[in-house]
Amino acid sequence: MKSRLRELREQRGWSQAALAEQLDVSRQTVNAIETGKYDPSLPLAFRIARVFGERIESIFHDPEAA
Amino acid sequence: MERCQPRDRRYRRQLLTAALVYVGVLFASVYLLRTVAAEWPAALRALLALAPLLPVGLMARAMVAGIRDSDEFQRQLQLEAAAVAGLVIGLGYFSLALLAKAGLLTLDPVATAVWVFPGLCLAFGLAKYWLGRSYHE
Repeated sequence: MKSRLRELREQRGWSQAALAEQLDVSRQTVNAIETGKYDPSLPLAFRIARVFGERIESIFHDPEAA
Repeated sequence: MERCQPRDRRYRRQLLTAALVYVGVLFASVYLLRTVAAEWPAALRALLALAPLLPVGLMARAMVAGIRDSDEFQRQLQLEAAAVAGLVIGLGYFSLALLAKAGLLTLDPVATAVWVFPGLCLAFGLAKYWLGRSYHE
């Protein structure tokens, strides 16, 4: 799954650690999501969307779907 | 350097404390069994010999709490590391047993058994580090 997580985080000037703290996860988890090596669960995806004030589908998308 | 979350600090503190208690109890147990407890009844000697299991239990409790407190990705990492560690140690000991059975190796069964748990812990730590790096950029 591809995501705009890094782009959104950098737009806001947040470090991975700062975002991790807001999401209550480890920095390693944020990094794994950003690099597409880990797909977050639905509850975590909702938390991410809430933190950025965006819809889930505007952050995550499946390249094979379209 | 990566900032440590409070739950990580708590986990590390609990694990380190239990590990230090384990080392102390282990040395005390071995020392007493070889000296003053040498003539004690078998039941008391058995209790003394098993005393290090108490701090091991505390370590296990800290580990379980650490896993429960971790996020979903860390849990996946820990599960994979536990599977790799179990496989490596299981196959390692199985290989040793096959070599011993073929008469190519002489094993002290007690010394071999004593290293199973520390081996698992070490393999888990190494596997977690290695898997963590493989998920990294």
